[in-house]
Amino acid sequence: MRELEYDVVIVGSGAGGGAVAKELAPLAAAGQRIVVLEWGPKLTEEEYTGHEVEMAGKLYFDSGGVLTKDRAMTMAYGRAYGGSTVVYTGTSLTMPQRVVDKWAVPGLEWDDLQRRSRKYLEQNNVHLQDENLLNQNNLLFRDGCAKLGYSCQQFPINVKGCRASSLCNLGCPNAAKQGTHRVQLPAAEAAGVEVVTNCKVTTVHDRVCAAVVANPGYGEPSAWEPGEYRVRAKVVVVCGAAINSPALLLRSGFGADLPALGRYLTTHPALILVAEHDHPITNFVGHPKSFFCDEFLESHGFLLETCMYFPFVTAKNLIGFGEDHSRMMHAFDRLQMILVLAVDPAAASNRVEVDSDGEPVVDYTMGDSVLDSLHESMKASARIFFAAGARRVHAPAGVRFFIESDEAGRIDELITRDNVKPGKISVNSAHLMGGCRMGIDPTDSVTDVWGRVHGVPWLYVGDSSLFPKASEINPYITVMALADRTAEHIRDNAGELLAP
Amino acid sequence: MKTLTQDKADFLLVVARRIVPEVAELDDHGVGRMCVIIDRALADRPASVQKQFATFLGVVKWAPALRFLAPFHRLAPATQDAVLGWFEDCPVALLRKGTWGLKSLIFMGYYGRTEVWDEIGYRPSFDSRERLHA
Repeated sequence: MRELEYDVVIVGSGAGGGAVAKELAPLAAAGQRIVVLEWGPKLTEEEYTGHEVEMAGKLYFDSGGVLTKDRAMTMAYGRAYGGSTVVYTGTSLTMPQRVVDKWAVPGLEWDDLQRRSRKYLEQNNVHLQDENLLNQNNLLFRDGCAKLGYSCQQFPINVKGCRASSLCNLGCPNAAKQGTHRVQLPAAEAAGVEVVTNCKVTTVHDRVCAAVVANPGYGEPSAWEPGEYRVRAKVVVVCGAAINSPALLLRSGFGADLPALGRYLTTHPALILVAEHDHPITNFVGHPKSFFCDEFLESHGFLLETCMYFPFVTAKNLIGFGEDHSRMMHAFDRLQMILVLAVDPAAASNRVEVDSDGEPVVDYTMGDSVLDSLHESMKASARIFFAAGARRVHAPAGVRFFIESDEAGRIDELITRDNVKPGKISVNSAHLMGGCRMGIDPTDSVTDVWGRVHGVPWLYVGDSSLFPKASEINPYITVMALADRTAEHIRDNAGELLAP
Repeated sequence: MKTLTQDKADFLLVVARRIVPEVAELDDHGVGRMCVIIDRALADRPASVQKQFATFLGVVKWAPALRFLAPFHRLAPATQDAVLGWFEDCPVALLRKGTWGLKSLIFMGYYGRTEVWDEIGYRPSFDSRERLHA
């Protein structure tokens, strides 16, 4: 067991940890010792192969298929230098005021979040792609929405030098996506912050992190030798995101005084919907996610987004098997895809627990309102597909595998609520939020409005687990804005927190 | 292989041929690649998931005996399809989830092979800018 001492330990290097590291970098430049402990590896540029199974295994927990306790949903979250920012599509929306109002956290103002979000939009080179860089999979969605009179907007994205590989979710092979692995972490390291990869923090007790370093056999070796460590710090900032942050704190015994710890998890339960066109379209070339439709957000609780996934993920999201399934898969260059995100309520019963080995277990149940949203979303998406000219649509709750274009007028009858069965339909989540929610009352929140854990002045959280409710948009910019607040509070109180 | 015994792998292939008909056309190398991908995926999962998978595989194998007086692998292909279809849509959520997991592993094994890309029309490239307007 090796013993080390730092002023600040940051656990995790994703949108939250990366932002905290960069914002605390001036302290490092001034002589404070700051280290980021990241569970995942830092891949070499050559290791970004774009091969689905291989990259999923290297960059995601459980290859992107972490199961909920009831086995009805899978969750995808990253494990790498840069966390999930290595594997997201880089869609960069800022939090609408209506959502901040719903969150209703005293002291958290929309203006403040906007100001901080704008900083990250600038840092990450967020912009709208030119029309001539958009592929047909995206443009057909926009056309379909326009024909139906649905509102549709373009996503700002954070790329620089995009070469249209469409491999964003497997880690950009062209270093174009401006995640924390490209922007904030290198900047922090240049200022003196250390980043240690392949390092799992197992517990945090009384300003001491227990950690284990183990190199997985790919990526750059960790800066620390493999083995067990005890890392003492004056301040610990937990940025392991919505599953691993609450799990770490629960393992460390903080649940006894914080009944909300792990609870109020929201996930934006998602469906991947697929339609087939008569002719090849550009779909797996170009950025995969250019437009979203929020027409049904208030009325039916879901967002629609363009998307394009890889062969295995596509196959597992189709209901059924055999010849129909195979026929659709063999039309890969004619497929159009839509991603559904349902807005789920923050329920105390949806929570992260730890098992007897200390491993996280996600006890999450999709309620009727979510299943209703998923049903409505399939019907709305089918209408968009047909309006865009698709010859046939596959709806997971369809009464048969394909709905043909000449049946477009019978969508309500052919996609039934009875068929929205958990376990049958493939539901995924990549927007995991909550578990260490902000608030003022320790009985129903875990941290204060600056991310400081109630009653533990040396312990902070700076990640998506702070969300008190769902973000109702793609969340990473908001994660960075909240992490920015956490870092600012530490900086502003450094004299007291980091005193010898 | 770490988790798939030969017995389990043999039965998995029987099911896989109904899930993805093209599995029947794979040569030994293709079958081997598929099994390795599935085996690695299982090996990376928690022990509880591995155990549940093994149990569910046994259920799929022997449950048909209650109705058809024969295990799954001795049924006619159309009957095998009917059994799998029943499991997928079954009133018992646990069986639906098990079926989804079984299908997912088979899809990962088959469609997770880069060899299948060309066959299905998936041809990714690191630089696709010119192909956007081809």
